[in-house]
Amino acid sequence: MSTLAIRRPAVRSRRSSWAQRRDRRGLWFVVPFTLLFLAFLAAPLGYAAYESLFRDQLIGGRSYVGLANYHAALHDGTFWSGVWHVALFGAIQIPLMLAIAFFFAAIFDLGVARFGPFWRAIFFLPFAVPAVVASVMWNFLLEPSFGPFTHFAGFLGFPNTDFFSPGLIWPTIVVIVIWEWTGYNMIILYTALRSVPRSVVEAAVLDGASLFKVITRVKLPMVRPAIVMLVFLNVIGALQLFVEPQILGDFYPTAISNHFTPTIYIYNQGIAGQEYGIASATAVMLAIVIIFISASVLLLTRWRRHA
Amino acid sequence: MKRPRPDRSARYDEEVVPLRLYGLGRGTVVGLTALCALFAIFTLIPIVWIAINSTKTQANLLGSFGFWFASPFRFFHNFGMLFQNVDGEGIYFRWFLNTALYAIAGGVGATLFATLAGYGFARFHFRGSTALFYFVIAALLVPVTAIAYPLYLVYSRIGLINSIWGMILPSMVAPVGVYLMKTFIEASVPRELIDAARVDGAGEIKIFYRLALPLMKPGLMTVLLISIVAVWNNYFLPFIIFSQNRIFPLTVGIGVWATRAQNAGDERVFPLIVMGGLVTIIPLMLIFLVIQKYWKSGMLVGAVVE
Repeated sequence: MSTLAIRRPAVRSRRSSWAQRRDRRGLWFVVPFTLLFLAFLAAPLGYAAYESLFRDQLIGGRSYVGLANYHAALHDGTFWSGVWHVALFGAIQIPLMLAIAFFFAAIFDLGVARFGPFWRAIFFLPFAVPAVVASVMWNFLLEPSFGPFTHFAGFLGFPNTDFFSPGLIWPTIVVIVIWEWTGYNMIILYTALRSVPRSVVEAAVLDGASLFKVITRVKLPMVRPAIVMLVFLNVIGALQLFVEPQILGDFYPTAISNHFTPTIYIYNQGIAGQEYGIASATAVMLAIVIIFISASVLLLTRWRRHA
Repeated sequence: MKRPRPDRSARYDEEVVPLRLYGLGRGTVVGLTALCALFAIFTLIPIVWIAINSTKTQANLLGSFGFWFASPFRFFHNFGMLFQNVDGEGIYFRWFLNTALYAIAGGVGATLFATLAGYGFARFHFRGSTALFYFVIAALLVPVTAIAYPLYLVYSRIGLINSIWGMILPSMVAPVGVYLMKTFIEASVPRELIDAARVDGAGEIKIFYRLALPLMKPGLMTVLLISIVAVWNNYFLPFIIFSQNRIFPLTVGIGVWATRAQNAGDERVFPLIVMGGLVTIIPLMLIFLVIQKYWKSGMLVGAVVE
C-alpha cells in the first residue's frame, strides 16, 4: 500500500520529464531554419536599420545622424512620386486582375465553359516566365516602330501609338503584370472555390438562385479569406515593382525615371548613387510596411476563421 | 488495370449536372467558352511570338510580320549562337547552368529547412516554440526582393559580393514554406501515429524520415515548386550582388543583353535575346506539365487561408 502511494507520483513526474525531454528534441528540427532566418533575413534588416542612422560623406567621413536619413527620404519629392506611382498602379491593376481571375475561377469551378482544364493550364503558363523575359517579349510586341501591336493600333485608327510614352507607360505595365499574374491568382481562387461544399451551391440553385447570384451571393462570400490574402499579396508585389520598369527603362529611358518606383529609388540611391544611408532608411521603411501587411493578413484571416 | 474511361465520364458528369441545374442555354456556354478562348489568346500571344521569332534573323525580327515565319529559317543558327562567344565563350549556357544550380540548391534547401521546421513547429511543443513561430510568421510574406538591399549592405561588409553563396543561402529562407508545411503536417501526419512509433521505441529522426516524410510528399512538392520558381525568376538580388558575368543567372544575363542592345546600339543581340528568353522559359513550363497534379491540388497559397 505504502509503496504504491510513493511510486505513483514518481512515475508521473518521470513520465512528464521524459515528454519534456522528447519535446525539447523538436528544437533540433527548427534550429537549421531559424539560423538561416536570423542570418539572412533578420540580421540584414537589423544591419540596414543601423546603417540608416549614419551618413557617409566624402569630406568628414562617417557620422551618426539619427533619423535624418528618414527625414531626408520622407521629404524627397522623388521618393513620394515613386510611392504615388505604385499606389495608383496597385489601385488599378489589383482589382482589375482579381476581377478577371475570380471570373474565370468561378466559371471553371461551376463547369459552365467547355474545356475548363485546358484553359486553366494555359492561363497558368505565364507563372513560368521570369519577369525579365516577359518584359522583353512585351517590349518587342509593343515597340513603337515595328511592334505588331503598334501596327494593329494603327489599323484600328490610332496611328503612331507609343505604348512606352510617359502617358501610356503605366497602362502598359498594368497589362504586362496582369499577363504575368492572373493565372496564378486564378488557380488560388479556383482552389478556394472548390472547397465550398457542393450542397450549399445546390441548395441555392434549387431555391431558384441564378448563376450570377450563385457566384456573387454564395461563392464570393465563402472565398473572402482567399481574396483578402491575395489582395495583400498583390499589394506587397506592387510595392516592390522593379523588374518590368527596370528592363523597359533600358529601352525607353525617357519614360522611366530613376525614382519610378520605391525599389528603383532604393537601387539608384544606394547602389548607383552611393547614398547608403538614405537607401537603407527607405529599405527599412519598405520592409516595415511589408511586415505590417504580412502580420495583418494573419490577424485578419485568423479573426475571420473564429468569427 | 487502367480504367481511364469510367473516370473521365465521371468527371464529365460532374461538370454537366450543374449546367442543367442553372438552366443555362447553349448560347451562354458557348459565350463563356469564347471568353476563355479570348483570354487564352491574350496569354499565348507573347509565347507564340517568342517561339516564331526565335527562327528569324535580326532584319526579319524588326521587319517581318511578328506572327508568321519569314525566310531564312534561322532557328538552329540562333540556337547555336547561344553557345558562341558573346561576352565570353558559351556564356549563355554558363548562365543556364548557374540558374539551374541556384534554383535547385536554393529550392531544395528551402524545402528541406521548411519541412524540418514545419514538422518541429507542428508536432513538438518546446519552450518558446510558439513565440519563435510567430517571429518567423511575421516575415511570412516578406519576399527576398525586400531584403535584397539590406543583404547587399551586409555582403559588402563580409565579402559575399560576387559569391554564389550570397545568392543560394538567402534563397533557402522561405517563411511561407514553413507555414505551408506546418499547416500541411497538422492536417496529414496524425499525432497518434507518431506517438505509436515512439512507444515502439523508434528514434525521432527515424520517425521523421520513415513515417512522416512519405505522408508530407504532396505538401513538400508544392513548396519545392514554389521555391524553385522563385529562385529561377529572381532578378533583383543577383542583379545587385553580382558584377561578374560568369556567375550571373539567366535573368540578369538577359537583362544585361537588353541593356547592351539599347545603349551600345548593338542590335545584333536581338535574336540572341529572343532565343535566350525562349530557352529560359521552356524548362519551367516542362516542369509544370510534368508535376501538374501538385500545383493543381491547390496547396499553392490556398493552405494559408484555410
